[in-house]
Amino acid sequence: MRKTLLKASVLSCMLGGILGSNLALAQSDPTGKKSITSTYAITNATVFTKPGSEGSKATILIKDGVIKGVGSNLSLPVEAKVIPGDSLFIYPGFIDGGSQSGISKPEDPKRPDDFDSSRPSDEIAGITPWRSAVDQYDISSSQVADLRKAGFTLVQIVPDGGMIPGKAALVILGDENSTNVIKENTALAANLNGARGMYPGTQVGVMAKFRDVYKNTELTKGRIGTFTSNSGVVRPELTPTYQAMMDVISGQVPVLFTVENDLEVRRAISLQKELGFQLILTGLEEYEAVIDLIKSSGAKVLIQLAIPDDKAIKAQKDDATEEVKAQYEKVKAAYDAAIAQAGKLEEAGIPFAFTTIGTKASDAPKALRAMIEAGLSEEAALAALTTNAASILGVEKFAGSIETGKLANLVLGTGPIFEEDTQIKHVVVDGHFFDYETKSKKKNADSGTSGGKIEGTWDYESETPAGSSGGKIIFKKEGNGYTGSITYANPSGNGEATADLRDISYTGSTLTFSFDVNAGGMGLTVDVSAEISGTSMEGNMNIGEFGSFPISATLNPTLIANK
Amino acid sequence: MKRYTKTFFAFLFALIPVLAMAQIDGEFVKPRSGKFLLQNATVHTITNGVLQNTSILVEDGKIAQVGSGISAGDAEVIDCAGLVIYPGMIDSGTSLGLIEVSSVAETVDNQEIGNFTPNMQALTTVNPNSEAIPVTRVSGVTTVLTVPSGGLFPGTAALINLVGYTPDQMYAGAKAVVMNFPSSGRRGRWDRRSDEDIKKDNEKALKEANEFWDNALQYHQMTEKGATLDYYPEMAQLAKVVSGELPLLIQVNAAADIQSAIKWVEGKDTKVIFSGVAEGWRVADEIAKSGIPVITGPVQALPTRESDRYDAAYTNAGKMAKAGVKVALRTDDTENVRNLPFHAAFAAAFGLGKEEAWKAVTINPAEIWGLEDQLGSIEEGKIANLIVSTEDPFETKAQIMHVFINGYRIPLSNRHIRLYQEFLERSLGLEKTK
Amino acid sequence: MKKLSYFLAALVGMSMNYAIAQTPKGSVLIKNATVLTVTNGTHENTDVLVQDGIIKEIGQGIKAPNGVESIDASGKYVMPGIIDAHSHIALDVVNEATSPIVAEVRMKDVVNPYEIGIYRSLAGGVTMSHAMHGSANVVGGQNATLKHRWGMSDPADIIMQDAPRTIKFALGENPTRVHGRGRGIQPRSRMGVEAVLRNGFNEALQYKKAWEDYTKAKSQKGNTDVAPAYNERLQTLADILDGKIIIHCHSYRADEIYMLINVAKDFGISKLVFQHTNEGFKVAPEIAEYTMGASVFADWWAYKFEVYYSTAFNAAILQKNGVITSINSDDAELIRHLYHEAAKTQRYGGLTDDEALAMITINPAKQLGVSDKVGSLEVGKQADIAIFEGHPLSSYTIPQMTFVDGVKYFDINSDENDQRQRVSPTEMVEPIMISQETAHRCMQDTEHLFETAEALFQMHQH
Repeated sequence: MRKTLLKASVLSCMLGGILGSNLALAQSDPTGKKSITSTYAITNATVFTKPGSEGSKATILIKDGVIKGVGSNLSLPVEAKVIPGDSLFIYPGFIDGGSQSGISKPEDPKRPDDFDSSRPSDEIAGITPWRSAVDQYDISSSQVADLRKAGFTLVQIVPDGGMIPGKAALVILGDENSTNVIKENTALAANLNGARGMYPGTQVGVMAKFRDVYKNTELTKGRIGTFTSNSGVVRPELTPTYQAMMDVISGQVPVLFTVENDLEVRRAISLQKELGFQLILTGLEEYEAVIDLIKSSGAKVLIQLAIPDDKAIKAQKDDATEEVKAQYEKVKAAYDAAIAQAGKLEEAGIPFAFTTIGTKASDAPKALRAMIEAGLSEEAALAALTTNAASILGVEKFAGSIETGKLANLVLGTGPIFEEDTQIKHVVVDGHFFDYETKSKKKNADSGTSGGKIEGTWDYESETPAGSSGGKIIFKKEGNGYTGSITYANPSGNGEATADLRDISYTGSTLTFSFDVNAGGMGLTVDVSAEISGTSMEGNMNIGEFGSFPISATLNPTLIANK
Repeated sequence: MKRYTKTFFAFLFALIPVLAMAQIDGEFVKPRSGKFLLQNATVHTITNGVLQNTSILVEDGKIAQVGSGISAGDAEVIDCAGLVIYPGMIDSGTSLGLIEVSSVAETVDNQEIGNFTPNMQALTTVNPNSEAIPVTRVSGVTTVLTVPSGGLFPGTAALINLVGYTPDQMYAGAKAVVMNFPSSGRRGRWDRRSDEDIKKDNEKALKEANEFWDNALQYHQMTEKGATLDYYPEMAQLAKVVSGELPLLIQVNAAADIQSAIKWVEGKDTKVIFSGVAEGWRVADEIAKSGIPVITGPVQALPTRESDRYDAAYTNAGKMAKAGVKVALRTDDTENVRNLPFHAAFAAAFGLGKEEAWKAVTINPAEIWGLEDQLGSIEEGKIANLIVSTEDPFETKAQIMHVFINGYRIPLSNRHIRLYQEFLERSLGLEKTK
Repeated sequence: MKKLSYFLAALVGMSMNYAIAQTPKGSVLIKNATVLTVTNGTHENTDVLVQDGIIKEIGQGIKAPNGVESIDASGKYVMPGIIDAHSHIALDVVNEATSPIVAEVRMKDVVNPYEIGIYRSLAGGVTMSHAMHGSANVVGGQNATLKHRWGMSDPADIIMQDAPRTIKFALGENPTRVHGRGRGIQPRSRMGVEAVLRNGFNEALQYKKAWEDYTKAKSQKGNTDVAPAYNERLQTLADILDGKIIIHCHSYRADEIYMLINVAKDFGISKLVFQHTNEGFKVAPEIAEYTMGASVFADWWAYKFEVYYSTAFNAAILQKNGVITSINSDDAELIRHLYHEAAKTQRYGGLTDDEALAMITINPAKQLGVSDKVGSLEVGKQADIAIFEGHPLSSYTIPQMTFVDGVKYFDINSDENDQRQRVSPTEMVEPIMISQETAHRCMQDTEHLFETAEALFQMHQH
């Protein structure tokens, strides 16, 4: 990770003078790249101020990251830089209720020589409520850029770790020169995952341990109360765990419980009922059976911004046997039920929002469209991305809609946001503009490429929780397409392994390809999506459910020279 | 009796130097041969119907006579009035004699290292004194196929009768080279391979099997022509299958694998038997068409797929038999091969029918193993493998009264029975000793 | 802050977190059957009337009340729903294997009502099972007693809420392999198993006293004592000492069975059931005198060394020595034909029909502490009923219908092909499980504790 950090700081040095910070005093800029104003007016755009509002032509005035006005008859100050918005559709910036983009899991602590797996320390067992997502967060990560590119402007970052990884924080996806932190300590992340090879090792152990931590924090609080108001009392032991749990037991900080299916939802709710904490359920994938329970429990909900992979239902063959056809009907019904769940949440009147953890930001539009086709209203979909998320995170005062006084977080698209052809052209965060290249509709598959040649041998590096790794990627042109291969450190032993690349697609400057890795008997598919610029490649690789990790590569110059 | 006393004292004397104070109580009953007349039973011959009030004369290890009014002569008469007699049951898939305690590696002798080891002989490692053998035979299972497991060609299985002091005394006259047909299914809960990997592994294994087979074919053809080839015991053993000297026992379970095994067998001039065949019901017609006989089981088993009916395994044998497949049963067990009659009863109740179920543990396996002139029914001249029971031995509460294997009268004792005898009423109850 | 006294803490372990759910209750009249009441003889041509989940009447010529469906069971046998005192079906997790004592974990937390094993067991006449923690620990987790109400999505709806608490203990090879040999902590031997038990109970006594002292002191004015630490593990052990929990102990050898009886006597514990108990026959008089009996396999033996000196006559010897004896499955396949397993006590020991049937009905009900509610066909009991074609102890019998609380959950005549309640939206190729091993789950979830192939080799043992 160090390399990325280094890169990030170099980048922020470069950009530091360019964009400036809102509160900093003006300085000279010998580079000549500083923006001359922080006041912008996007004029005559189609503006959707909040979910349910009909788009109407309006101008939005922004100053120092705050919306100063929305309307058709605004008088624009002279320092306003005017951006013609005639062809643009503007929505409130999206809010991600739970994100791990840019989050890297801290290294496991070293086990002591006399390690007893039945009694590990809290830290080794993955009970680290004192950790903050902010310390694990790297805004310069390409995952963050991907998330922003998908329209997200404000996110709750969630720490990575064991059963209680730490505290979440609210950040905006703004300029890299700022900390971008809105609030730390927004929620306590928790899940039902056991520690490997030690106590608690399974869900049943995790639930018992969670009760133990919670109740002993309560007792510790009582002891401290007695200690501080009396003399002659034995000094209470205040561990980092109990200290960090104090604001959870007092109800100030909610527990953000990651639960994927209905049974796990029930487990989290049963803990909540027993112990009495504030609960936000997150990461829900399969929850149709518990919609009523969620409603009656009053828990807040973040569902996964993803839909099941449709490979299985698309692979259906007409000449299948009756048995396979019956099987298919079941799988199809399960798929249809899965994508219809969000609509059912809406129907039940539960104001849910989304989490992007475990999902790919670039797949968000497809997932949203599928949910809408299966019954979710566009209004509820937009609310989930904006106002609902704002109220779940308690930021509705300054985020979630396009209103005077709110943060200048906007999504500017080429059309109505949930339409298939719509592309995001700009994302405004905190008053900063992030511009994206829009592609004309891919009418011919062989459309030109603008990033540069990819044939040749690339040296790549990637960062994964298992450490950094690297190798070579080779592309060859074949007819209209490409073939290729990648080398990587063999996960099942020593030396390098090679995999053939498949589904190589290169349009515009965007290169995507996939390959399969066999790790310890488990087959993994790695999907890479990267931008090519000259001889450099920057992007993400998505490894199944393990998440997305940055990858960067350079085209080997010697080979170019040899050509 | 005289002879017995002599041996007994010889035994005692032999012990004296070692255990000066030893005291030996009681009499140890051994299997013994002789001439026996089982009188006035209901005889279920399997091949010739049910004969009331019929007697069976056992002599020289054979069924000498079946009929009424057989004169006892010098035969030991066993009154079987009110009892039923069936031929001994045959379990065509066990690890009996090869494994003593499955979790203790030192007692597990059914697997070798290597993927291609058809030369490994199960018969060699059969432990005639395994505790499981007397436990098994008193249930009426008199003959079992004991099968090595492991790689693609793990070894050679052998049919044994459950009496004898050496493997050769037990050998019942049939062997088969075992092939674990490459599986396209998951091996169990612990198998976390992806669908793609399973497919790849399966293709690789099939390719390997073909290579082994082609080599064996060439080995056979060359030696036929008089070639002297290098020592290659694995190939020499598989060549015996190619030449038809030994049958090939293909263990295969998933429907797709059964289909692919049928295809694989096509055009090979070899006697093939399928074993396992858990999803046989899915492709029963195709198996019937191939003419390949099937040894299926365990019957008391879970369905192979979650979506299957709960009784998929119970009904499997019946469905295959109805489609015209010749079906025999197996327990695929070691210490509980004694449950073969119960597996058969379940198959009978769930579609196979009692008569076919009996054939599936007697004459059908005898035919599959080419021993229909010796085993599998009560006919004069056949080996005297007989069970005498209070009622249908498939019935759980039936009591087996007598067992004959190879004409030996089998003592109805084993560890389970001895422990019962010892502990039913302890000589010392709750009180402390003085 | 919530005040947490010892007495409150004692309540926590109970099913407070599950509201008493309103589970389905049915009414039905079963006519003209051979009724095997188990506790009250066998009655030919007899009717059983069930109303709102309760057996209302057993007799002849009962008229169906209005709106109550009547089923003609002429020629069929009706018996109490079968109860499996040792099972691992319908659990997402079986073993929290990481510590020699994990009394604090609750299997109720991980009950999975979607598991196909529930339906498959109903098809074998089984209406209740004891969903147990695994056998990796000397003191395992607290078990869940389940009623097989198939089709529920709330785990609470298949948990028998009015059943008492039970807990898993385990002696012998499994805990010594996992902890002593697997990870270098006690117990490594059967001596260590006893020490772990005695240490645990003595610590629990200290814990209980600490809370009692604190609670007492608190009631005095101006007292500044601070609360002891909360420890549900010790609290649960204290609850055992207070007779609030029935111990169900995985055990095989006579010496270890005898050891636990001695430990129980020393700590005043009387609610104790032995599980597996393969060598129980050797100490049958002691088990009969001091415990709630033994739950055994009908004929399993020799799969590991501690069951090499076993006998299939175990159940009969125990029964004849006055031990409350049940036959269990511990296995997703075997649970489907417990009626047949019970019949094996007739082959091995010649038990009567009632004695054999008691082993899968009233006896396990006694061992689970629910014999006042289920386990026999008696007026006033919950209507858990199985109907068979053929006597249930015959190996040719076929279960026909199975009722829980008077609601029919299995009917062979309307048995649908695919009973899965959960289908993956992304998987077209259904896994095919051939291996027999998949049914055995006693040591499931312990695999991560073993690194070597040899350990894996032994992992599937009970």
